[in-house]
Amino acid sequence: MDKPPATLHDNRLLLLKLLLLACVMFVFAWGLIPVYDALCRLTGLGSLQRPDEVGSQRLAATPLAPVLLTFDATVQPGLPWQVRPLTRTLRAVPGEFVRVDYEITNASNRQVVGQAIPRYLPAAAAEYVKKLDCFCFAQQAFAPGETRRFPVVFVVDKNVPAGLDSITLAYTVFDVPGRS
Amino acid sequence: MTAIDSALQPAHDTAHGHHAKPSGITRWLFATNHKDIGSLYLWFAFSMFIFGGVLALCIRAELFRPGLQFWQPELFNQFTTLHGLIMVFGAIMPAFTGLANWMLPLMIGAPDMAFARMNNWSFWLLPPAALLLLISFAVPGGAAAAGWTLYAPLSTQMGMGMDLTIFAIHIMGVSSIMGSINIIVTILNLRAPGMTMMKMPMFAWASLITAYLIIAVMPVLAGVVTMVLTDRHFGTHFFNAAGGGDPVLYQHIFWFFGHPEVYIMALPAFGIVSHIIPTFSRKPLFGYTSMVYATSSIAILSFMVWAHHMFTTGMPATAQLFFMYATMLIAVPTGVKVFNWIGTMWQGSMSFETPMLFAIGFICLFTVGGLSGVTLSIAAIDIQLQDTYYVVAHFHYVLVAGALFSLFAAVYYWFPKMTGRMYSESWGKFHFWWSLLWFNVTFFPMHFLGLAGMPRRIPDYNMQFTDFNTLASVGAFCFGLGQLIFFANMLHSLRHGKPAAARPWEGADTLEWQIATPAPYHSFVEAPDLEVGENGRIDAMHGGKHH
Repeated sequence: MDKPPATLHDNRLLLLKLLLLACVMFVFAWGLIPVYDALCRLTGLGSLQRPDEVGSQRLAATPLAPVLLTFDATVQPGLPWQVRPLTRTLRAVPGEFVRVDYEITNASNRQVVGQAIPRYLPAAAAEYVKKLDCFCFAQQAFAPGETRRFPVVFVVDKNVPAGLDSITLAYTVFDVPGRS
Repeated sequence: MTAIDSALQPAHDTAHGHHAKPSGITRWLFATNHKDIGSLYLWFAFSMFIFGGVLALCIRAELFRPGLQFWQPELFNQFTTLHGLIMVFGAIMPAFTGLANWMLPLMIGAPDMAFARMNNWSFWLLPPAALLLLISFAVPGGAAAAGWTLYAPLSTQMGMGMDLTIFAIHIMGVSSIMGSINIIVTILNLRAPGMTMMKMPMFAWASLITAYLIIAVMPVLAGVVTMVLTDRHFGTHFFNAAGGGDPVLYQHIFWFFGHPEVYIMALPAFGIVSHIIPTFSRKPLFGYTSMVYATSSIAILSFMVWAHHMFTTGMPATAQLFFMYATMLIAVPTGVKVFNWIGTMWQGSMSFETPMLFAIGFICLFTVGGLSGVTLSIAAIDIQLQDTYYVVAHFHYVLVAGALFSLFAAVYYWFPKMTGRMYSESWGKFHFWWSLLWFNVTFFPMHFLGLAGMPRRIPDYNMQFTDFNTLASVGAFCFGLGQLIFFANMLHSLRHGKPAAARPWEGADTLEWQIATPAPYHSFVEAPDLEVGENGRIDAMHGGKHH
């Protein structure tokens, strides 16, 4: 009335299938990386390090109240950088193109590759600062002791909420180990 | 290949010739008997439960009053982290695997687990893993302190204690995957004639589905902690924003493991309760088929809700809504189960022995935990309650009053079959009422603390939270003390308990109660012919040999 009892061979076959499933799931975990990467690109999430597009609707037709912009930079202890903004503060009208320069020095005696990560205060200001060009879009290689200047070009969106009258743009520079 | 071949051989020597039990230390070191390995698992789980419990008491001692009393914050964080890891991977999961080892072959009429030597291996991997976690307290920088979730970038920055933790997770993962393969092959291939899938006891169904969940998600956990390891030591940037990685990616991969893990710790509990409630209600389980389907749908849904742990990471509103509704959907099959248990008790001829008390306690308190879970599933509320004590209250209601209470119920229920002796009923009942009282004193106030905004994983807190924290600490110490009653009861009854009948519970009708008590060392060496009803009810048994 029942199917014949399972043999050792049946058991081993099932064991192999289940082992295969475990291996597939291990690979799946790593496969999630490109999947999420593609998802973020498609949906535009995580776009702080990519150039923005500024349509005319984001540029002000009539002058709005200026926003106080503060520029800052930090380096985590132990990393070989000196970073300073050449402009500390300025006032800009939303919709106006702004360019500021940063000076980055590799203070070590070896070649290093750096990556800058932008940060906004308040964090909610991030979506209203549209960066057209930024040294944070790419990794930068530095010779020992080299100093270079980099521009940041951006527009403060004219849709910026009225209460948001002061924005700080801060960069942290990391070195990218394993690349030179 | 010969090593692997011999690891896959069923232990034939048990069937031919060597009928005497092996004795001494080798009986345990080289154990291939499912009952011995089951006992090893259960003892290991209990010792880890005590270890994790002591860590919990260290946490509660510090939180008795505001300000720093006993530990520095770094050490406190190590306690919370290791408490979580040890209770999840060291106590609850091995305890369920141990019960499955002990009971599955008896329930389905199999001679042993399918791969007896692999079974030995999967147990003996656990003590070294536990040892790694234990010695990580003594290395420079101390044990892992990133919380049991080991979120990046905390976990990519810590000292070597994190490396030990990662290796421990790898080892425990391998162990649980091997254990799960054994469970699946045993259930699918070794059932006695007549024991069909849709007649199988609920504990077998729950173990089967749990085993599939483990095989599907433990490799994902192994993958993500490997990424942390390569980020730490081999210059990769999976979770390092500077190198183009993303710390939030860690959370996505971790919770793809983490949410099914929640059900890995809950489904076997559902299975156990589905035995005990019918037994002590003296009625068949209400809605057996719907129980099977509810268990399967919980397992499938558990793969689609991981991001409800991440509502505050800044995901789009559409995604929040999807995960919110999917999470709420899980309440439906879970509600079916609770309804079925109540339906089983309805108009039953109930009696309230210790296993039944723990099972009913499970239903009541697990439902409370389920309701706070539904509350947390609402994204707008979760954003308020994320990382507060409300979450701590929620998951302790489902893990302590859920998983742990079901384990106590199971140990009391099957103790006569395992040992041949009865435990002390009065001490068992005292253990239940004591645990029930102090569990609620410990964890119910945490709901209020969370709603008032107290964050989790901190050693110090604002004065306004003092009263409830003091209450919770008193409750925790009393709850912990009560577990010694359980330990003493078990130890004493093992030697001096009254001899148990073959079927000590008159309502018990599954296969393990059809054989002698204590269960013969080699049971069902020849498969019996069975006539089986739903939920493994044995209507008739022919043949079947034991040694």
